[in-house]
Amino acid sequence: MARRGRILAIKWGMNPNSSSLGVDVTFLLVGATALAIVTPIIGALLRWRSNKPVAPTESPDK
Amino acid sequence: MTLLGAARELVGAVRARIAAARPMKRVRLEKFGAILQLAVPRALIFVDRTMARRMARIDGDPAVWRGREGGLGDHVLSAPLEAHLQLTNKCGAGCVGCYTGASPQGASNEWGLVEWKRAIDALADAGVFHLALGGGESAVLPWLGELATYARERGLVPNLTTSGLEGLDGLIGIADRFGQINVSLDGLHATYAAVRGFDGFARADAAIRRLRAVKREVGINVVVTRHNFAELDKIFAYASERRLSEVELLRFKPSGRGASAYKAMRCTSEQHESFLPTILAAAKRHRVRVKVDCSYTPMLVHHRPDRDLLAELCVYGCTGGDFLIGAKPDGRITACSFAAPPPELVQLGKRPNVTELASYWDQPGAFGAFRTWRDAAEPCSSCEYHSLCRGGCKVVSAHVRGDASAPDPECPRVRAIEGQQ
Repeated sequence: MARRGRILAIKWGMNPNSSSLGVDVTFLLVGATALAIVTPIIGALLRWRSNKPVAPTESPDK
Repeated sequence: MTLLGAARELVGAVRARIAAARPMKRVRLEKFGAILQLAVPRALIFVDRTMARRMARIDGDPAVWRGREGGLGDHVLSAPLEAHLQLTNKCGAGCVGCYTGASPQGASNEWGLVEWKRAIDALADAGVFHLALGGGESAVLPWLGELATYARERGLVPNLTTSGLEGLDGLIGIADRFGQINVSLDGLHATYAAVRGFDGFARADAAIRRLRAVKREVGINVVVTRHNFAELDKIFAYASERRLSEVELLRFKPSGRGASAYKAMRCTSEQHESFLPTILAAAKRHRVRVKVDCSYTPMLVHHRPDRDLLAELCVYGCTGGDFLIGAKPDGRITACSFAAPPPELVQLGKRPNVTELASYWDQPGAFGAFRTWRDAAEPCSSCEYHSLCRGGCKVVSAHVRGDASAPDPECPRVRAIEGQQ
């Protein structure tokens, strides 16, 4: 079976704090199990949304 | 039509509805694969090349994928995820620990709307996803709404931090243009005054109520000091009572006026060591989402959480000059908002401003010590969390040790090891 690829990380929400990078640590309350459940759901959402592909951006000098 | 056929049709219709209503906003290719921006849920998803290829329907090998497929964090990103723009240094609040040293006069040579629009053009062209707008007090700027609209038009999501003490009437009218607005609230009632040096709690609270009445995505930023640490649970209770979307906790930085207030305000070692269980208990008790700033990573890993879980949650330490950049009111680029502009590069002959991000980003030596964390000495080099933590807060290291690349002196592990020597 062909590899479907992998989600490496998810950065939740947006950071309004103009001084440093804020990360949501609420998931530490529920641990790896909850994230193991959420990640495939996000994967499924991505697959559904890939019906409408978005042109990727790549830095011009890369 | 058979039952199975009807079910398939229903599933197909639901899929089409979701895809049409909530599309993926953007895909940015990276050496490890790509970053996918989702509007709902609001998230950046980091995926490997195989998944990126499927999601963005990529044929062939883009230039950025030539070479080995590394992991997230193995290389500097192709551009920051977010840019922190200090639009002005004007602010009349006069907080004793203000990290920018803001004043009613502001800074010299502050940029205006035209220059910041050019900056947004440069950031959009580079592939930046989010803006965090701050000051000083940016809410007083008459063109803030126009700038936020322009950012949206260029595909960037503007977010805002405000004290809530000035410019509120104007902000209420443009609140819908921001992804998230957080109000700085460093304590309740008398604690607010103890931390900030004046009694502004009632006004900040009134601002929070008014903003929350017109917008759901409103939270608070709390700079944690030895004076408000014991009150954190009450602050979470307050956030729950006001139905705020998040509490974001920030470590006190020795920057601006905060440099002289640092010794008196910074948390004690005992408070830092109990930080994680304290905030998680408060978040659980009051059912409020909790965010922490990048400088808290040494205090998180002190409790030895699952390393893979941290990586999956994108919990990194100092990512200045990589995941994020800052810009001063005159446009000069910085690794983060607390840091001074990086040293001048010989090859460029000057310190760059934010419109020159693309030409500066890949220069050898760009962002100085913020990108040399991989060369760390002991005790960081033997720490199993080092690739996530990246040596802790470089602004604290620079202030306390005179060397931004030195280990964070407030890291519990660093303190324990150095205490034995």
